[in-house]
Amino acid sequence: MKQKKVRFLVGSLLIVGAIAYLITMGISNTSQYFFTVDELMSQKTSYAGTGMKVKGNVVNGSIQRDASDYLNVNFSIEENDASLKVAYQGVTPDMFIDGGEVVVEGTLGKDGIFHANTLLTSCPSKYEAEKEAGKMHPGKFPNADEYKKPGLNEAEVLPKTNDLTSL
Amino acid sequence: MNDIGEFTLLLALATALYGCIAYVMSARGNRIDLYLSADKTPFIVWVCVTISSICLWKAFLTDDFSLQYVWAYSNRELDTFYKVSSFWGGQKGSLLFWTLLLSTYMLVVYFQNRNKNLRVVPYAMAVMLVIVVFFLFLINFSTNPFERIPLPPEDGRGLNPLLQNYWMVIHPPTLYLGYVGFTVPFAFAVAALISKDLDDGWIRMTRKWTLISWFFLCMGNLFGASWAYVELGWGGYWAWDPVENAAFMPLLIATAFLHSVMIQEKKDMMKVWNMSLILLTFAMTIFGTFITRSGLIQSVHTFDEATLGYYFLAFLFVIITACATLIIARLPLLKSTNELDSFFSRESSFLFNNLLLLGIAFATFWGTIFPIISEAVRDVKITVGPPFYNQVNVPIGLALLALIGIGPVIAWRRATLSNLKKNFLKPVLASLIAAIVLFPFIPLGNRAEIYTYVTFVLCAFVVTSIFTEFYKGTVSRMGLHEESVAGALTAMTWRNKRRYGGYIVHIGVVLIFAGIAGSQAYGTHTEKHLQLGESFEIRGYTIKYEKLVAIEATSIKTRIIAQLAVERDGNRYWTGHPEKEFYKGQNQPVSEVDVLSTWKEDLYMILADFREDESATIKVYVNPMVSWMWTGGWIIAFGTMISMWPDRLEQRRRLDRIRKQEQLFPSPAQE
Repeated sequence: MKQKKVRFLVGSLLIVGAIAYLITMGISNTSQYFFTVDELMSQKTSYAGTGMKVKGNVVNGSIQRDASDYLNVNFSIEENDASLKVAYQGVTPDMFIDGGEVVVEGTLGKDGIFHANTLLTSCPSKYEAEKEAGKMHPGKFPNADEYKKPGLNEAEVLPKTNDLTSL
Repeated sequence: MNDIGEFTLLLALATALYGCIAYVMSARGNRIDLYLSADKTPFIVWVCVTISSICLWKAFLTDDFSLQYVWAYSNRELDTFYKVSSFWGGQKGSLLFWTLLLSTYMLVVYFQNRNKNLRVVPYAMAVMLVIVVFFLFLINFSTNPFERIPLPPEDGRGLNPLLQNYWMVIHPPTLYLGYVGFTVPFAFAVAALISKDLDDGWIRMTRKWTLISWFFLCMGNLFGASWAYVELGWGGYWAWDPVENAAFMPLLIATAFLHSVMIQEKKDMMKVWNMSLILLTFAMTIFGTFITRSGLIQSVHTFDEATLGYYFLAFLFVIITACATLIIARLPLLKSTNELDSFFSRESSFLFNNLLLLGIAFATFWGTIFPIISEAVRDVKITVGPPFYNQVNVPIGLALLALIGIGPVIAWRRATLSNLKKNFLKPVLASLIAAIVLFPFIPLGNRAEIYTYVTFVLCAFVVTSIFTEFYKGTVSRMGLHEESVAGALTAMTWRNKRRYGGYIVHIGVVLIFAGIAGSQAYGTHTEKHLQLGESFEIRGYTIKYEKLVAIEATSIKTRIIAQLAVERDGNRYWTGHPEKEFYKGQNQPVSEVDVLSTWKEDLYMILADFREDESATIKVYVNPMVSWMWTGGWIIAFGTMISMWPDRLEQRRRLDRIRKQEQLFPSPAQE
């Protein structure tokens, strides 16, 4: 009886041990530093060349797209007066707009430019609106007109039609 | 109307408070008068919460923007359909919705168990009422959905366009039905601990509840994945985001619970383990809510960084401490008389399945909270992403997949060598054949591809093992009853719903494994900036950009649609219309992808960008076998239905068993 218990204990411990090993290896192989822009700037050690994630808000008017290669984007992100230049190659998400919060993942080059492999924007979750509402409430209520102007100016240049059958 | 809504919420809180005190006192002091009065509270609470919810719905439907919540999540032009679902579009409403579901569940439990088992049920009702009190407290004093705006604005801000999707109507309620449902088995477990009625009564009473909640949680996760897939437009369905993990962890632990209670029912073992699992499942549902409400963990979803999350943390702490104390106090009573017989037995396969499921859950949990831990310990935030979860969870998941195949064919108690040989011959042969047949067709260049190959081989193993079970049962029944194949198969399944329903669920799980493996390893994507008429190739498809059109769909929505011709072997094969939608009142557009889904692969198109000269950036993914996952989901639903179906035979078998036991050990009352 005793021996059987020991066997089960050893078997279970082996499984638990294997899982623990996988987790530790996983952490050490794949973990990345996560900074906000100001945290990164105030680091004493240089993190150039290491993979990391950086969070910040897109600086107004800083988004520049390469005229010849539309997928080549340069922009800056800021947080608490610190800013960082970012170079990114690829399709940008819908919510990549001036002032929007983004998380970039990539490496910091020696030149101080962050080379991003991925660009994540915050998903406008259900709870975000609440946050904004909290900011405005109760002092200022939104002017309805502010919300009536979607960024449609680009679209108006295109031929307009009202039915899909012509497609 | 709004005053009524606000008032009924307060009334519900007061009644629920009274109810839990009265239930506990009636059970402790054996006071029938108190019990009768307490027994009215579940109904009253339900009526109050329902009235309050109706008031909120009415405010949405009548565009009453004097409510801050309605203003924030609706506007005049919103579809009625979405006005109804805006109810749970934000934090305040979702908490009220949660309470509505919880009190409805509570009412059903109340009707199910009225005047039954007066030792356990009052405590169970009290536990549920405590949880209702917690939610009502939050709603009343922290996030009141009936908060007024002194000068009501003309129009609301509208619902986020990403949420204006039919999944928004299906996904959150499904997930909530699952989350909230686990309150019932949890309440009965705690009640069993308090009342010291520690046989498997609480498990049997709540078996259906556990299954239903598990089912909704499972579907909720799958619906979430499809929502992300069709709506978020990044070509994937799962990102190991903290919010996804929050829904995934309770599912894993609930799955472990669902399996290990079978051992308790059959062998009267693992009592402490089951108690801990249901406590953990419930704690995970609260933890999930905490994650999504606290903003403590960086997620691609942004959250209201309010104090609300900390209420959940405090509640979680109280629950875990209280339940752990209770379990420890009852340890002597939870001792099991039986022991596991052998390493190679079905019982121990259940034990290992539990360890593996908890392993995945723990790895997911650890990855989710790792940034917080590293910040506390080393003062640097360190995050882990999808590579971590894949590296850790894929091997554990594969071991689990193998166990799904081993479980049904390994003998109970003790598997002998001859038993192993007999039962495993076919499945092992099938997997060998699959390994050989697939080898020439499957690239094995990197780790993901090797894992996928292993997954496919294991899938062959599991499917054969399950089908062998069906085959054996059918053949033996045909011999006994002279039935046709179909007749014998149906009759057999129908007479053992739990068992064969479970096998069907397993087949669904295998399909999901296969779908994940295929889409993760062999997918490809490309993005191109194209002028009208230009084309490019991906995986044998030629994609030609033909047209760009703007349509004013409704007064608040403008759609920009690209037309892409897909050619294969020189023939026009399909026409894709990915689009971008601009909503009035929202500053960002929404991408609507277009997907051609076949059993082999999905062709997934995104209109990433367009410019005034009608050039556009198109992103195309080829995702193999994604549809297998959705099919697997439907099969899981079908299997769960079968095993949930009321089973008279099962009840009769149980009664027979009890009667036999009573004849062997007559109780004093009968003598």
